[in-house]
Amino acid sequence: MSGVLTMGSLDPAFAGAGRVDWGPVVLDLRAVEFVEPAGLCGLAALVEFLIPRSEEVGIALAGRDVPAYLERMNFFRLFGDRVRTNVDVASLEERRRHNPGTLQELINFHTEEEIPGIIERISEILENQGYRLRERVAICSVLSEICANAAEHGASSFGAYAAVQAYHHIVSGPRRRGEEVLIAIADGGPGVRETLSRNPALADYTTTDNDALRHALEMGVSGTGEIGRGGGLALVAGIAARSSGSLSLRSGTGRVTVYENRKNSRNVPEFPGTFVRVSLPRPPQEKFPK
Amino acid sequence: MPEERAHRVFEVAGGDFGGKLMVTRSTGRAVREALEETLSALPKGGTLYVDTRGVELMDYSFADEALGILASRAASGEYGDRHLVLVEEDRDLLENVEASLRQRSLAMIRVDEVGGEPGIVGEVPEHLVATLQAIYDAGSITNAALATKLGLNHTACNNRATRLAKLGLIHRRTETAAPGGRQYSYERVV
Repeated sequence: MSGVLTMGSLDPAFAGAGRVDWGPVVLDLRAVEFVEPAGLCGLAALVEFLIPRSEEVGIALAGRDVPAYLERMNFFRLFGDRVRTNVDVASLEERRRHNPGTLQELINFHTEEEIPGIIERISEILENQGYRLRERVAICSVLSEICANAAEHGASSFGAYAAVQAYHHIVSGPRRRGEEVLIAIADGGPGVRETLSRNPALADYTTTDNDALRHALEMGVSGTGEIGRGGGLALVAGIAARSSGSLSLRSGTGRVTVYENRKNSRNVPEFPGTFVRVSLPRPPQEKFPK
Repeated sequence: MPEERAHRVFEVAGGDFGGKLMVTRSTGRAVREALEETLSALPKGGTLYVDTRGVELMDYSFADEALGILASRAASGEYGDRHLVLVEEDRDLLENVEASLRQRSLAMIRVDEVGGEPGIVGEVPEHLVATLQAIYDAGSITNAALATKLGLNHTACNNRATRLAKLGLIHRRTETAAPGGRQYSYERVV
């Protein structure tokens, strides 16, 4: 496990998760020094995948910062009674302080009806933190669309997990000056390929997970084939591209990342559901806005 | 000039379902049902102004469910001779409305404010743009006069205008013309 907990750094764990056969499992996160929302949502999905397959799931952590961050992001509130950990969670609760960069703690939801409340709350936080209307709209639009996709297509026993974090530097790729908002969501549903396969007209585009993911990013592509459906993800990719950010979509053994002017895809260990990560860099802010 | 017709204004940000942040299809469905009720209650020939100016965020799912499907049903004649006009300024919020209408190959008339100059959001087929512009420039025009203005024969002109009427972008009136015939005239919606 590398120092940064991302979705990619969990690949070896996902690769091994399918082989777990009721024995105890410990996720060794002691080398982790930094957790981004994608890693947090990926970890939540991994733990949900392991719990029904293992007699006990453990998480090993080191130091104070990462356990404290996980506590602030509500990880132990959601999983504390279902995983064993070497961390004294009670002592972390006493030290609990709000992190101004946290725009949305790890949240678990199941239905579309929960989404407006999530959006209302984050919009208020963004407004209080001085985000401009256009930025608030971009962040809220991205979050509402990917949450709606998860609620509609990602039905599973655990629903979906989402988290949003703002950083005072760019954390995607080489660390550099600027600001960045990261939005992540993971669900345990049937995945993009199976969803699109329900539409017979898409048979030629669902041969592999990566084919399905690339096609899912096109305007108007949906599992139902109804006119008007399948626009959300394409527009989210457009929002990310306009802010020079990116959108990563992962499902099954596929992963596609869309940037402003290019699209990468590669095969990855099986992810049991659908995962989305959106990076929205912010332009430099005026220190004393008029 | 076009005749005065009944109209109502529906403020999306107000009312029981409204708010500044309009997201998800289920919220869109609730707003659409309220819009349909208001639209159906209008007398024939009436216009419903859908005012979204108080809305800060309208995601694609909401826009498609509330406005895309509404425009689609209006274009299929579900609400009879009643028209929709979007009241919204030219801002980012229109992007998702535009995307939804384009997906559905539809368009709506848009004004910055009630009584303002009309524009279009969505997609009007290329070959109908000049016809639409000519009708809006004239305010009210017969098929014969429109055909002359556009250099078309009467049948082709009528076909184009009929398509625009079905899209809900203009009014079409049938008038009796001597001897024993009839002629169409077209009017702008706003």
